Amino acid sequence: MTNLKMSNKNKDTTINIEQVRPDAKMQSIALSAWFGSKQALKDINLTVKANAVTAIIGPSGCGKSTFIRCLNRMHELVPNARMSGQVLLDGKNIYGNETDPVQIRRRVGMVFQKPNPFPTMSIFDNVAAGLKLTGTKKGQNLNEIVKKSLQQATLWDEVKDDLKKPGTSISGGQQQRLCIARAIALQPEVILMDEPCSALDPVATAKIEELIVSLKHDYTVAIVTHNMQQAARVSDFTAFLYLGELVEYGDTRSMFENPKSEITEKYITGKFG
Amino acid sequence: MRDMSRLLDIGLEQLTSIVLKMGEAAEKAVRTSIAGFMGGQDVSEQVSELSEMLVTMTVTVEDKAFELIVKYQPVASDLRIINSYMKIAYDFERYGRYAWDISLTHQRFAASRKCVHNEDLMEKMVDKTLHMVRKSIEALRDNNGEMVKSLAETENEVDKIYSSYLDILAETPLAAEGGICNLLVIRYLERIADHATYVGEAIYYIATGEKIILR
Repeated sequence: MTNLKMSNKNKDTTINIEQVRPDAKMQSIALSAWFGSKQALKDINLTVKANAVTAIIGPSGCGKSTFIRCLNRMHELVPNARMSGQVLLDGKNIYGNETDPVQIRRRVGMVFQKPNPFPTMSIFDNVAAGLKLTGTKKGQNLNEIVKKSLQQATLWDEVKDDLKKPGTSISGGQQQRLCIARAIALQPEVILMDEPCSALDPVATAKIEELIVSLKHDYTVAIVTHNMQQAARVSDFTAFLYLGELVEYGDTRSMFENPKSEITEKYITGKFG
Repeated sequence: MRDMSRLLDIGLEQLTSIVLKMGEAAEKAVRTSIAGFMGGQDVSEQVSELSEMLVTMTVTVEDKAFELIVKYQPVASDLRIINSYMKIAYDFERYGRYAWDISLTHQRFAASRKCVHNEDLMEKMVDKTLHMVRKSIEALRDNNGEMVKSLAETENEVDKIYSSYLDILAETPLAAEGGICNLLVIRYLERIADHATYVGEAIYYIATGEKIILR
């Protein structure tokens, strides 16, 4: 067994390279997480494959959101929250001591359940905010990135003449796509989505789903959803969590046609709640 | 974790009930037509009614299945059941249609000449085909994926008898000896046996999620 020892005074960051999946963009190894004394995740080993959509499903409280928040170090922002295990991004542990959480969050973006554009900012500034804050892009270059991000989020045609209007002046579905554009503008490698359509109507949901499928060509996407049909429609791989444990992981078609676990079968067919 | 009652279950129960009734009607149609053929009786009217009923029930199964898909977007075992029931309903409809064809063939030819030749061979083929029909319906009723595996073996035997019979008929003056009647009937029996294996494949898929070919 070959091990790479990373410098970390607080955590065991030894990576067993035999565990590292070559097709993984991100990978959790023995990931556990707690809120105070309550354990939310138990020893999760899960792969998020590159340029694919991975859906995380499971009943409320099963640890779905906690899991994806561990993927970009947002979990640690919650008071009394802690984790153990490893999360690899391109084979490197994002919890290593030398790793900057802000950089990780830039590489691994997040879109939340409710559209949350910055209320005091214009549509343009919402998309540009991250770039301005980090001082990385200015002038013409900034304009181009904002335009490209809005195009990738399939919002450009709808807002190109209203870029100075407040970000909150557009519809809920448009606001969610604005938030996706805001995440894209930072040129992340992975986009995490935490129930991105739960506050949207069917038409807006369809647009976001179409967008999710198109995004995987340029990004790796992980989506938490309560909607089984949505997981079946948009994802290539599905992971089912239950009571903080990973019950089943596999390609989405197989999972929804012939799940291996009886618990998965009961959950996706609505036989328990 | 506790099991929940689901609206989908009511629909699935209705669908199951229709398909099982189709199984009973399909078996009755096949048995009646074969008894008429072997016994020299015209049962075409009776079998026609059963065949027509099976056609109507197939449409009902399709309608119900589409309703359940539209309303509940079923997945996993629910989806497998609905998909397979649609196939099985079609196979049962074919049982009925071939049964009717057997009775019509008898009606058409038996009045002018004896229709059953090589009785031993014909009886063997009839017995094995009826056995397959019964087995497929029992497996459906019991949702027993293992039970259907023996259908492949029996279907091979039916095919062998069919082949032997064809060899004999190839040497027979067809019109004079009632060979056309025999030729058509063994073909219908062979097709019924084929459909019994399709039913078996669908039942296996429901039970296991795996697709197999029993032919």
